[in-house]
Amino acid sequence: MDMSSLYGLASCLPFECMQASFMQRALLGLLLLAPMTAVMGVQVVNLRMAFYSDAISHSAFAGVALGLIFSIDPHLAMPALGVLVGLGIMALLRHSSLSSDTVIGVMFAAVMAFGLAVVSRSASIARNLQQFLYGDILMITDGELAGLLVLFLVLSVFQWYACNRLIYMGVHPMLARVHGVPVRVLQYCFAGLLAVVVMFSVWAVGVLLVTAMLIVPAAAARNFARSTCAMFWWALCISVTSALSGLLLSAQEWMQTATGATIILISCAWFLVSALVAHARGDRLR
Amino acid sequence: MEPINACVRGRGDAAVSFEHVGLSRGRTVILDDVNAHVPWCGCTAVIGPNGAGKTSLIMALLGEMPHKGLIRIGRNAAGKPLRIGLVPQRLNIDRGMPMSVLEFMCMGMQRRPLWCGMRADVRARAREFLELVRAGHLASRRIGDLSGGEMQRVLLSLALVRRPELLVLDEPSAGVDVHGERMFCCLLEELRLSQGFTQLMVSHSLGMVARHATHVIALNRSVVAEGAPAEVLTGSRMQSLFGIHMEIPVREEGER
Repeated sequence: MDMSSLYGLASCLPFECMQASFMQRALLGLLLLAPMTAVMGVQVVNLRMAFYSDAISHSAFAGVALGLIFSIDPHLAMPALGVLVGLGIMALLRHSSLSSDTVIGVMFAAVMAFGLAVVSRSASIARNLQQFLYGDILMITDGELAGLLVLFLVLSVFQWYACNRLIYMGVHPMLARVHGVPVRVLQYCFAGLLAVVVMFSVWAVGVLLVTAMLIVPAAAARNFARSTCAMFWWALCISVTSALSGLLLSAQEWMQTATGATIILISCAWFLVSALVAHARGDRLR
Repeated sequence: MEPINACVRGRGDAAVSFEHVGLSRGRTVILDDVNAHVPWCGCTAVIGPNGAGKTSLIMALLGEMPHKGLIRIGRNAAGKPLRIGLVPQRLNIDRGMPMSVLEFMCMGMQRRPLWCGMRADVRARAREFLELVRAGHLASRRIGDLSGGEMQRVLLSLALVRRPELLVLDEPSAGVDVHGERMFCCLLEELRLSQGFTQLMVSHSLGMVARHATHVIALNRSVVAEGAPAEVLTGSRMQSLFGIHMEIPVREEGER
């Protein structure tokens, strides 16, 4: 896939750092990833799946470990295992009488322990894990960008079809099912797609901060917005502006911070402002 | 909003028949050999003490709980299973959720995502459904800001969007004061007659059941009594069901 024309657009931005090709790729990657995490984040908040996305992100270690054992590219093994773990958690949740946080906690521990056990056997692998812990969007390749683009298109179609139904499910799953929403199919589709988005986000901001990329813009949007429609747009705005300003700021000589952490710090600043706005509006009293 | 039609009796003897329905969780028997029916077009109330299995019976009917025995849902005149509308006791939302009542209504009425806005025709229809339950003035309010009674009417309005042929309500009077309960029940009765649905509700409020139900199923794991309110809500039966003596004035046939 030829991305050169898109890179050309990125290089037109009035920032010296944007002349570097890795920065152009990172910008494009974040422009694709940030809207996806924003929209999925709103749904994650509505469906109370923050812990689920945390568990998926931590299966990244196991994904890398499996990739190394079976000589599969970690960038393939990670999302594949993420989707498997995600669908597994969903199946367990649907068929178990245990509470969701208990089920997710058990799966979380299992994949994390497996990943660490395999990784601990080799010092060289352990060193490579740093990029998964902290993320590195600056290392994104053309192939990964193409993957992000495909995911973006698939997710757009899914959201167009399922957005309102997912909101319905968040409000009351049984009510949604009785009123004709195909809850089971949507739960599995959402869990699978969320797992892929989480794994792509791991490359951008790292395992430790991936949940923040989903939750913080949605939480800030919730404070700003007075309607569901506005909440989606606020989340989109906060997510994209945080991603782009985080990328640009982290590249400045006087900053030189990790891009992922900078992005999350800016979205947290957004959240702080939103909390003040909500407080000033008197939402606290409700 | 045009009334759908006067209630049409579909195929089968009853709108819903429970035949030898049993339900257990682990070793605990929740329902044991329940045999009952929900007559067409009426208002059937399921009553019983806490733990009698009332809500479980409704869950089994809605396909949410695996059960033994048979639950037959009637078919409409076109031969299709009855369209079910549900009014749950409460929602899963937290009170800070930024969602207007109008958006709440529209989420089930349009495919276009809410972040692309609400279609003008859908918005107008949603307002009509809200007017049906006298909640038109709530359209722009946040869903989390509604009182218990207001929320109930909005939930009823959402169920009516489905044009239900069978309306199922789980404890419609929970968390509502006496005045609110009475208003809601009168509204339900009015809608049942104008919209033509069969109503099935679980209720703890025996006064409301006596006044508005046309058929009562008294449940305590299995059916203790079933029939017209005057036959079921007798002092001796209430004594055996709830352990206290109660005289419940039952509305006479034809009295409003």
